[in-house]
Amino acid sequence: MELLGGFEELVLTMVAALKEDAYGAAITEEIETRLKREVNLSAVHVTLYRLEDKGYIKSSLGGATNERGGRRKRIFTITSAGMAILKTMREARLDLWKLIPQLKVSGR
Amino acid sequence: MNKQKNSLLRAVMRLLEWFCPDYLYEEIEGDLIERYNKNVKVYGERVAKRKLVWNALRFFRPGIVLRNKWTLNLIPLYMLTNYFKIASRIMIRNKGYSMINIFGLAIGLTGAILLGLWITREVSYDQFHQDKHRIYNVWNKQIHKGGEAFCWSATPRVLAPTLQADFSAVESAISYASYNDSYLFSAGEKRIIKNIANFVDPDFLKIFTFPLLKGNVNKVLENPNSVVLTERFAKSLFGEKEAFGEIVTVSQGEFNIPFTVTGILKNLPSNTDFHFDFLLPFSFIESNYGKDVNWSNNSVTTWVKLKEGASLEALNAGIKDLKKRNTNNGENTQLFLYPLTRNHLYSRFENGVPAGGRIEIIRILGILGICLVTIACINFINLSTARASRRSKEVAVRKVNGAIRYSLVTQFLCESVLVAISAGVISLVAAYFILPFFNVLVQQDLTLNIKDISFWLGLFVIVVGVGIIAGCYPAFYLSSFRPARILKGAFAAGNGKNRLRGLLVTFQFGFALTLIVSTIVVFQQTIFLQNRDSGYEKNNLVYQYITGDLIKNFEAYKNELISTGAAISVTRTSSPITERLSNTSGMKWKGKDPEDKTVIERFYIDEGISTTAGVEIILGRDMDIAKYPSDSTAILLNEAAVKAMGFKDPLGEIVEDSGIEWHVVGVVKDFVLTSPHRAVEPIVMQGCKFGPNMLNVLHIRLSENLGVKDNLKTIADLHLKYNQNYPFEYYFVDTEYERKFANIESTLTITSLFTGIAILIGCLGLLGLATYMVEARIKEIGIRKVMGSSVFNIIKLLSTSSLKPIVWAIILFSPGAWLAMKWWLQSYQYRISFSIWVLVAAASSILAIAMITITLQVYRAARINPVNSLRSE
Repeated sequence: MELLGGFEELVLTMVAALKEDAYGAAITEEIETRLKREVNLSAVHVTLYRLEDKGYIKSSLGGATNERGGRRKRIFTITSAGMAILKTMREARLDLWKLIPQLKVSGR
Repeated sequence: MNKQKNSLLRAVMRLLEWFCPDYLYEEIEGDLIERYNKNVKVYGERVAKRKLVWNALRFFRPGIVLRNKWTLNLIPLYMLTNYFKIASRIMIRNKGYSMINIFGLAIGLTGAILLGLWITREVSYDQFHQDKHRIYNVWNKQIHKGGEAFCWSATPRVLAPTLQADFSAVESAISYASYNDSYLFSAGEKRIIKNIANFVDPDFLKIFTFPLLKGNVNKVLENPNSVVLTERFAKSLFGEKEAFGEIVTVSQGEFNIPFTVTGILKNLPSNTDFHFDFLLPFSFIESNYGKDVNWSNNSVTTWVKLKEGASLEALNAGIKDLKKRNTNNGENTQLFLYPLTRNHLYSRFENGVPAGGRIEIIRILGILGICLVTIACINFINLSTARASRRSKEVAVRKVNGAIRYSLVTQFLCESVLVAISAGVISLVAAYFILPFFNVLVQQDLTLNIKDISFWLGLFVIVVGVGIIAGCYPAFYLSSFRPARILKGAFAAGNGKNRLRGLLVTFQFGFALTLIVSTIVVFQQTIFLQNRDSGYEKNNLVYQYITGDLIKNFEAYKNELISTGAAISVTRTSSPITERLSNTSGMKWKGKDPEDKTVIERFYIDEGISTTAGVEIILGRDMDIAKYPSDSTAILLNEAAVKAMGFKDPLGEIVEDSGIEWHVVGVVKDFVLTSPHRAVEPIVMQGCKFGPNMLNVLHIRLSENLGVKDNLKTIADLHLKYNQNYPFEYYFVDTEYERKFANIESTLTITSLFTGIAILIGCLGLLGLATYMVEARIKEIGIRKVMGSSVFNIIKLLSTSSLKPIVWAIILFSPGAWLAMKWWLQSYQYRISFSIWVLVAAASSILAIAMITITLQVYRAARINPVNSLRSE
């Protein structure tokens, strides 16, 4: 199975987390407020399209709001393949965590 | 919110829309707006806007752009091929129309290419020198008492060493001299006479980039007995043998001195104002004859290379009064530096300030080129709109099938670009073949630089640009048709369009008219100059330079020339009668106004100028040194000189020049010494006081009893007898005189050539227009004939409307042509007066040409049997 890059995993997680509200601007916003990290809108978009190409998410055009000048959103939802790879990666990560001696963690 | 920012936003959004795939655009735009609205709340409007622009531009990345590869590129490409296919089909189907368009454009473009080559050549003169921006020529500015200033570029020999020694801003300064003297070069058996000798300082080749094939640029002219030859001259002296390091014997007057060839120069490029076959070091003259330190003897040009970063202003201020300080004759002359880069095109000074020069010719040529292409474009525009009715159904069907205006415009532009490219190819081939003839006509050696990428690039830009410019209006016009009306059959070309067409035709023929007027005037002026009485007998008169042993054997040579019957009379002079030797404003005579700065030409003779050259003596007598020994200080004045000096009774008057008092023994009729373009200069013909040194040209009046060939054979034999070391070289005065017309003759050829082209293009267009007009009105003609109209009436009806723009052209453009030619004639002191008949002749000839063109078409249509034109509906 092909592994995802760090940013891709992050965006994919966000799509899963935001459910019906997962679209470019919202995802960017969430990453910025939660992780205090500068993200460029275009980077998020490109990543979303790439994930869609890979089949981890699918999209449909959703409602338009006044806030966005009457333009519709593209709402992304995670597919089961996407959920599966997210889980796999999380487990792999946890396995790695286990290798770290406990002392160092508690030292924080 | 200001509008400018908004339009920037709109532009950015447009850009985004352009590169962004359509199916993604909406949500991306929405996201951008959403973020913008959030940002406005957080950062304020200004920052938010900036962020919006930045965010939008960041979408220009492969991950987005590459997503629309298939949707964006394939379809237009497919359409483009279709457009070209349709365009070529239409071109092939309407052969006559395409021919007129393509050939009209091709002729215009060929003219433009040739002119373009010429202009590029002129502009490139002496621009190839390294550090050209640091090289300057030293000029003089003499201010007369009335405040009038006069500029020239000859400077004293002593100037360059002074500049080099005394001014720290000067990297190097050199003198460059071209002396009119006969120098004999001998290498082995080979002997060649050169009549111009070039002397330079050793740094010459360090200032100017004339690359050496052999030799060290730092030492090449260090030794007084060294010489640098051009490759061509070396080859003619030494043949295939290696010339470098060899000895060349240079003889002039009394001396015969061996020089070592220390350098071979690559042949000079044709785009330089320096013309020389060899360079001799000044140190040679100076070690033999001493240094010329006379600050009033302007015998060389001085060139200066400044140090990097040196201030031109400071140096100019420093050298300004250099001449005044070093002379004490009250000469109010200032020196100034003039850049090498402007030397070729901007070297005419009027009253002390630069006043153009060759650049004026370049500008005229440029305008000519642009006009040629323009009138060719006009043909295209006119013909395309005139035959719009033919394409209207096609446009309508395309529109009904969903073509948007943009794609129709693209289609028509494709067509015009295709026409332009075909014309471009033809004109390139034509230019290639015409160029050798053109070179002869304009006395240049232009080449098509096909290895030069910028040439191709320039040509491509021009050709495609012409296609787009010519195609623009027709494209928008044709694509504006309303399909519903056209398909209902209600098409009629509006009158407004006809007016524009008329306007364009007016411009075309106005331009042609201006050219016709120019041709007539230039032609008249040329004839006028050629018919000018030169004031002496040019035929059967030859001259040769007195070289080598001829100086001491002169008397014997002369006697035998006459006793053999080959010559009637011979006279020694200081310069050929077709050239000036030197002039001065420093002559003094009784009653001369000290402020009088009239320049008077010097011309030294020994005797018998009236019999030899046929100059007419109108008062007093010719010089005759045998009869009157005092004639060595005698002078003959020409009428202009008498007038300039204000003598009532010139005989016996004294004129002082070069420290000698000359007495007037005769007055000759004015004759042309320098240029037939100019009024006759005052000339003083001085006696042989300075001996053979001043008299190095021999004029020989050939006997008419024997043929010229026999005479010359006799003279050649005598020359061999008395001067065996030098080859016999002679010049016919009439041929040399003819050369003075070279410039105006090439102007004449160019104007007539381009007049022909302009008329041809204009008539091609007119022919096309007439054809379509006749076609559109063929039924009308038929009906008129049925109703009893005569052929003549129909011709009259159809021709008058077509000739209207041409009449307008005559009215509007005549004054301009008149002014232009008045201006051109100003450059000739001896000139025709502009007669109104020239305008009348030009106007009637252009009307006649236009009328013939139109009538040919109309007559054919008027003759058609109405049954044929009305039968089908």
